[in-house]
Amino acid sequence: MTMHGMRGLSVFISDIRNCQNKEQERLRIDKELGNVRNRFKNEKGLTPYEKKKYVWKMLYIYMLGYDVDFGHMETVSLISAPKYPEKQVGYIATSCLLNENNDFLRLAINTVRNDIIGRNETFQCLALTMVGNIGGREFAESLAPDVQNLLLSSSCRPLVRKKAALCLLRLYRKNPDVVNVDGWADRMAQLLDERDLGVLTSSMSLLVALVSNNHEAYWSCLPKCVKILERLARNQDVPQEYTYYGIPSPWLQVKTMRALQYFPTIEDPSTRRTLFEVLQRILMGTDVVKNVNKNNASHAVLFEALALVMHLDAEKEMMSQCVALLGKFIAVREPNIRYLGLENMTRMLMVTDVQEIIKRHQAQIITSLKDPDVSIRRRALDLLYGMCDVTNAKDIVEELLQYLSSADFTMREELSLKAAILAEKFAPDLSWYVDVILQLIDKAGDFISDDIWFRVVQFVTNNDDLQPYAAAKVKEYIDKPAVHETMVKVSAYILGEYSHLLARRPGCSPKEIFSILHEKLATVSTTTIPILLSAYAKILMHTQPPDQELQSQIWAIFNKYESCIDAEIQQRAVEYLALCQKGAALMDILAEMPKFPERKSSLIKRAEYSEADTAEQSATKLRAQQQTSNALVVTDQYPANGVTLRISVGQLSLIKVPSMITTENDTSTDQALSQQNGSLSKVDPQPPSVDLLSDILGPFAVEGPPGATVQSEHIAVSGLEGGSDAVDGSAIVPVEEHTNTVQPIGNIAERFHALCLKDSGVLYEDPYIQIGIKAEGRGHHVHLVLFLGNKNTAPLVSVHAIILPPAHLKMEFSLVPDTIPPRAQVQCPLEIVNLRPSRDVAVLDFSYKFGTNMVNVKLRLPAVLNKFLQPIQVPAEEFFPQWRSLSGPPLKLQEVVRGVRPMPLPEMANLLDSFRIMICPGLDPNPNNLVASTTFYSESTHAMLCLVRIETDPADRTQLRMTLASGDPSLTFELKEFIKEQLISIPTARSPAPAPKAPPTAQPTPQIPPNDPAAILAGLLS
Amino acid sequence: MIKAVMVMNTQGKTRLAKFYEYLPVEKQQELIRGIFAVLCSRAENVSNFIDAESIFGPDSRLVYKHFATLYFVFVFDSSENELAVLDLIQVFVETLDKCFQNVCELDIVFNYSKVHTILDEMIFGGQVVETSSSEIMKAVEEISKLEAASNAITLIPKSASGWRSR
Repeated sequence: MTMHGMRGLSVFISDIRNCQNKEQERLRIDKELGNVRNRFKNEKGLTPYEKKKYVWKMLYIYMLGYDVDFGHMETVSLISAPKYPEKQVGYIATSCLLNENNDFLRLAINTVRNDIIGRNETFQCLALTMVGNIGGREFAESLAPDVQNLLLSSSCRPLVRKKAALCLLRLYRKNPDVVNVDGWADRMAQLLDERDLGVLTSSMSLLVALVSNNHEAYWSCLPKCVKILERLARNQDVPQEYTYYGIPSPWLQVKTMRALQYFPTIEDPSTRRTLFEVLQRILMGTDVVKNVNKNNASHAVLFEALALVMHLDAEKEMMSQCVALLGKFIAVREPNIRYLGLENMTRMLMVTDVQEIIKRHQAQIITSLKDPDVSIRRRALDLLYGMCDVTNAKDIVEELLQYLSSADFTMREELSLKAAILAEKFAPDLSWYVDVILQLIDKAGDFISDDIWFRVVQFVTNNDDLQPYAAAKVKEYIDKPAVHETMVKVSAYILGEYSHLLARRPGCSPKEIFSILHEKLATVSTTTIPILLSAYAKILMHTQPPDQELQSQIWAIFNKYESCIDAEIQQRAVEYLALCQKGAALMDILAEMPKFPERKSSLIKRAEYSEADTAEQSATKLRAQQQTSNALVVTDQYPANGVTLRISVGQLSLIKVPSMITTENDTSTDQALSQQNGSLSKVDPQPPSVDLLSDILGPFAVEGPPGATVQSEHIAVSGLEGGSDAVDGSAIVPVEEHTNTVQPIGNIAERFHALCLKDSGVLYEDPYIQIGIKAEGRGHHVHLVLFLGNKNTAPLVSVHAIILPPAHLKMEFSLVPDTIPPRAQVQCPLEIVNLRPSRDVAVLDFSYKFGTNMVNVKLRLPAVLNKFLQPIQVPAEEFFPQWRSLSGPPLKLQEVVRGVRPMPLPEMANLLDSFRIMICPGLDPNPNNLVASTTFYSESTHAMLCLVRIETDPADRTQLRMTLASGDPSLTFELKEFIKEQLISIPTARSPAPAPKAPPTAQPTPQIPPNDPAAILAGLLS
Repeated sequence: MIKAVMVMNTQGKTRLAKFYEYLPVEKQQELIRGIFAVLCSRAENVSNFIDAESIFGPDSRLVYKHFATLYFVFVFDSSENELAVLDLIQVFVETLDKCFQNVCELDIVFNYSKVHTILDEMIFGGQVVETSSSEIMKAVEEISKLEAASNAITLIPKSASGWRSR
């Protein structure tokens, strides 16, 4: 094993190989470095051969993972040596050991330039290679023109020119200004006429880099690329050395098709036809053969052709041909082809409308989930995740669950996360969702992050119907002998809150529930114990009539943990013990947890983050980004008008759209294709993340700050500045210019009135859009979220939403994105501050364009007076002094109201209750009278108590006498008028409310029953 | 672009490592170890692709090929075609084979500088500069001649085939 080149280097490598252990190796290397250092100190005595030998030794040491922190100066100085071997070593070592920011590099710029402009081709190659590997900005500025000259020079050999092309690419990456677009585009086109395939290959790489940043300037290169591709595909004039396993330069074919993918479309019909002929030939002419290398090469070309066909949005026929090919690939023996087949199917989901055809291969894809190769399993998982929608969610998620038990460890986390996200996004019903998550915790508890079980708790808390079901389910799981700690956590929480709903079922008495939970206490860690303690406290509170034995058992536990070393556990124990001894007060403090504010799923957010930040050059991703909204895009859930729907992976992500996309959209806005690609201009920051833990685990915690999107730009609309006039003037005026050809679904007025009484629901719907609303009040603040859901497969454009606020409301509305992508839902938060009592209503002026239809509607927003009320129960000893102190007008007003819609007294009580005015029973001795109280919140009045008395006449239910009292005259008046309006006529579809100041403008024509449950679910899932 | 080219043996020893984006040496070693850990756990007759994002960060792909005692590993981003990179590994290995005739691990160990030269003629700053192994060989032979001509001390023969180690 001798080596003719450098004996010393061979000896050194042998020595290293003979080292028995790392320690010996290090000693040998330290010795060598010392030696090299010494020899270089006395540089004069070194021959070029020795220098070369030492530098290669350094490189070898560096490769082994040792820092070579000396010799930089020496290596750089070798570059200026006049003779080849030293220069060569200098260049090679410099490009291996130094990075572009190294100060020594600057010293060499002049020498490098001299080598490039000199006549010695070998020196030119060395210099170009070094610059191409590590050249930085300074190199770019001083060397770019010379490198360009080399590339274009007709006297240079191909060997030099191909390196110059790639060197220029490197310099362009470091500083794009070095390529002057105007002048360079023609030269680039010229370069593509090159016959030498080596130079052409390098030039094509350069072109790919240039067009990925700015395709506009390089249109003239497009037909040339098609020509090159045709030349290769037809094997015309391709020299033998560039034929690889019988295929004419597959690498160049691939690069050329990659370059073509950066042009949004091909307009010239003859170029397009030629290209499609070539593509067709590639698609049809590629067979799986025995030789692996030939197979790889031909399929490299084929997959790139597929990508190009997808990009060009070919005719439907060609598309289905592609899917058919992919369907074939995912079932072949060759693992690489299976892998790429799955990967390309996933890409296909993103860019075209072929989901239905892909779904036909679902069974095969599920089989791939069990492939022996983990890489293929991952691709199958990605594809299943991407193709999942409401129609197949159940099948896919159940497959994933089944696979979870046998999946390898490395995949379980991803698998369970994806299953959880799909279950949440596409749940046909919430009980199924609960089932899935509990199964996940059961099967893969270690991989279930806290967010997943927090989310279940949120859903259960916010959906009353779900509570008994969830409680029964978790009890089934916790009954098992060995359960995962996460299951203990979620069970303890849910059983603590809701096990009383099961009390009548066998085995579900408070005592039994307690003992099941308590069995687990010994096995759990300190983070779970506080949750168990909270559950005990709640169970105890719900035990009616009180059970002395249970009580003493639980108290004993609290007692025991009062001195626990863990501060959290100790605090719970001390507090619960103290609270329990307070008797009745326990009820209030330990009352059921309030509903959680709606927030975007942290899971989905997480999924988005992982898809977001990549500085991207790839054509497919670029397209995917073009289709993505900038706003918070969440899924919708409802199949609209019988059309099955799906959300592509791309649409789900919050991707930072690079600025270049905006320029791209200027080209042909009226074309359907560019509309498809979306025209986005603004990027919103991610909403601040919310600490879920504090909400769920803090039993007394007041709800945390809402997890709403705070967008960067707010339009502050102050109602004080003449906003009132705007409402009174313009809001009522029907739209004259455009006749709305689009009919709303459901009755707008009815929807509005329904929303006055509840916090969430649909405000408006037509065949294209659904506007949902969610309100959440706190004192004189109301946080409202509008959900704009596009029901179509095409984007809604020119979306505008303007809020016309009445004078008493201060509103801050975030900008609405101009475009709502297909099948996406956009959330627009709206912050409302109530300044003073008033019955005026805010109006949302909303318009969008679908196709040629301009739709404009004006919608009243349900931020009405009663949203600022908070029910309060006033005991007799406080009520009467208050009532008496408010002695007469204007603080106390009385009116006889006639024309009241007849209703029995309990119904009226319910009605008041729904306005958050609380009936105080027993205060009025007359059973025909109602006494009620509430608190009104506004900036001017702060929290103000309002008292109401209604005296009815059992003989004539159409009239009554109403007395209103509060500490503010305008409040008394407004509230009296408000209640009067509600009593006179309960709005129905046939008789819209007479009183409100801004009647609806659009024509109500009910087509579909309002309050689509799926839509509400969609809102909740946001 | 191609981010890195690595050759390591089945014991995890690095035989060649070239990174086209600057990384500190500790980071390079960490990545090499991470890749080896995945590679050595893979069976025969599986695909040539592994998930590189967990090791190299977002937008990275990895293609490898296993020859006798060596793994040839290329890491690149989504602007390259996976199968085409697999072809490239094949071109690299075929070129080594032409150069050393039945290349084996020791050829690569002891002709470290030569392997570097071959790689530099094939990949340039993370971009492919030549895909024809005969063109690569031509360029390498030219360099060898130059080295021989201008280096009186070494015994390098005039043709590259003389570099054969046995």
